[in-house]
Amino acid sequence: MSAAGPSRPPVAVHQFIPTLNPRDATGSHTLLLRDILRAAGWRSEIFAEAIHDDLAAEAYKHWTYPDHAAAGDVAIYQFSTSSVVASFLAERSEPLIVDFHNFTAPEHFRGWEPHSEERAARAHDDLALLAQRTELGLADSRFNERDLRRAGYRRTTVIPVLVDYQRVGAPPDPRVAAELAAAKAGGGADLLFVGRIVPSKGQHELVKALWAYRRLYDPAARLHLVGGSSSFAYLKALRGFIAELGLVDAVRITGDVSDAALAAYFAAADVYLSLSAHEGFGVPLVEAMAAGVPVVARRVGAVAETVGDAALLLAGTEPSYVAAALHRVCADATLRQLLVEAGHRRLPAFGLDAAAPQLVAAVASVAGAPR
Amino acid sequence: MAKTQAEQPGGPSPDPQAYVAQVMAEIEEEVRLRRSSGDIPPKLERELDELFLAHSPVAGRGGDLTEALRMVDAATFVDPVVPVDSQRAAGAVVKKGMRTVLLWYVGWITHQISQFASAVSRALHIVEGRLKELERKVEVQRVPGAGVVEAPAAHRADAWWVAPAVDAVASVPGRIVHAASGDGWLVRRIIEAGGDAYGVDPRTNLVEAGVLTVSDLRGEDLADHLRAVAPSGLGAIVLSGVVDGMAGGERAQLLHLIGTTLAPGGVLVLHSLSRAAWDDDDAPFEADLAPGRPLRATTWRRLLDESGYDATVVDGPAGADYLIFAVRATVPPPEPTSGR
Repeated sequence: MSAAGPSRPPVAVHQFIPTLNPRDATGSHTLLLRDILRAAGWRSEIFAEAIHDDLAAEAYKHWTYPDHAAAGDVAIYQFSTSSVVASFLAERSEPLIVDFHNFTAPEHFRGWEPHSEERAARAHDDLALLAQRTELGLADSRFNERDLRRAGYRRTTVIPVLVDYQRVGAPPDPRVAAELAAAKAGGGADLLFVGRIVPSKGQHELVKALWAYRRLYDPAARLHLVGGSSSFAYLKALRGFIAELGLVDAVRITGDVSDAALAAYFAAADVYLSLSAHEGFGVPLVEAMAAGVPVVARRVGAVAETVGDAALLLAGTEPSYVAAALHRVCADATLRQLLVEAGHRRLPAFGLDAAAPQLVAAVASVAGAPR
Repeated sequence: MAKTQAEQPGGPSPDPQAYVAQVMAEIEEEVRLRRSSGDIPPKLERELDELFLAHSPVAGRGGDLTEALRMVDAATFVDPVVPVDSQRAAGAVVKKGMRTVLLWYVGWITHQISQFASAVSRALHIVEGRLKELERKVEVQRVPGAGVVEAPAAHRADAWWVAPAVDAVASVPGRIVHAASGDGWLVRRIIEAGGDAYGVDPRTNLVEAGVLTVSDLRGEDLADHLRAVAPSGLGAIVLSGVVDGMAGGERAQLLHLIGTTLAPGGVLVLHSLSRAAWDDDDAPFEADLAPGRPLRATTWRRLLDESGYDATVVDGPAGADYLIFAVRATVPPPEPTSGR
């Protein structure tokens, strides 16, 4: 830890990120962290390889950083995939903090997206590349911290990702809410999953589960898949699969939605169902807890760590098994209440009030106290 | 809806952890009953996977190179003449006008892309030709995998080792897989004893005969099956007629897969013929054809101990076979210093 003396210029703590997107977990975390760093007294900007149009005013291209750099700067790298930003930072001398959100393993893209598979494979190299010159590794979960340790990071700590889960309690989009209410009036449970449509998130497993659930328990059940797609091949296959199973009217693929529309989907959901093959944290799981929606989830990655006792955790994805769990959560009021209450008990651990002081202290251990 | 065992109305709030554990047990029981009643046959669940894969890109369908190259060839030409259909009255006219205006530019770009794709396709065809030539040469030296050893005296419901094997696995939490399951003779016994069992056997003729009485039998190779199982997804694995004739590499691979799929605290039951039985004149014909021969029971115990199991050996009464019970440690063992 370096102590900041009074004669030194103010320290800036800047963040670097591969892609700054408005509605993904890492992008939201980065924007929230910037505000926290500024509120704590540091100067802080965001530098990215790619910047979404909606956030063009919020960040600079990473290669412009030398124009902004000053002695005493500290860099935080928001690591979620491979990027030229990693090699850019590897060659710089600022003290570095790696905030690790994990990345999807290459095998999850195999056969679907060759370029994504290659990119995921390079992420391993990037993680190792930065290990030696990183002063502190931050991990969202103990699961992610273990990966950091394996990659050679010597000093690490676990601080949950910053989740502004209040957004799911915002006033719901009235148009979406009305559509969902009209569908619900006809009976049937509403199942919800929020996440990018990519093979690792296992949306096809959700469709299989819906098929079995409708066949065995609830013929009118619906599934809402909220989130954009970065895998055209997978999305196309998913649509074909849904059509072949005769579920076109039962599965809604929404694409990216506004916070208000997201709130409407959570408000209408009877169960939040996650059958992802990989999760380094699982922000929507926390949002489901905040919205009072019981969670059924496959026990992979950091899922169990995130949900604790606030979910039914499944060992597999066999459709009949998932369907039986869904049925139980929908039909057993006591179980629903226990899961929802457990979710509410877990929420404070993920709130900004809890995570912000931890992050400030962790950053200060590298940058010195803000002045 | 009728109240379940775990849902008791009017009483004090249940202990959450105990309640959820009870619910999970009831869900597993529900699934077992559904499967055995034929409400949703396991075969149907597997067909869902095949249906989805049919929509996946060519690499997801099994990686046939010739088929993949056919798709590459079909996609090498990039058409610059964009369709102009439209649902709006003037849409088609506007689109056609834009296409005409932009064709000089788009055409130039697509021509280069098509040329590049054709060059890549040509290179891939050359690689395919050389690969096929290599495969022909390698095929001559190929070591075949060990087939299932069928020993009529040992692989039957009244064999000496069946009762203790069933006792060891019937009450474990989670699913139990038996390989090689044949027509399901041991799966039936485990289910009757209360276990949630299913069978795997590459001999599809036996599987097809067995599914008439045992609903969940799968005609596939054990290693392929374990690769598709979720990590720690099995409560117990019973092997009979599987490991006897395995060569070293295949055995090491199987041990690795078992270590990945067996839950901590899970049970591995392994039955093997002895070396004496293997060399006997009455030995099954697979003994002559197998790439390897049975390990001594003590060697298995050593291997399993090193892999993090607590293993116990029981020798058969006539010295013709042996049974090994192994419980997977709840904490992973240290990495072995050398592969076997």
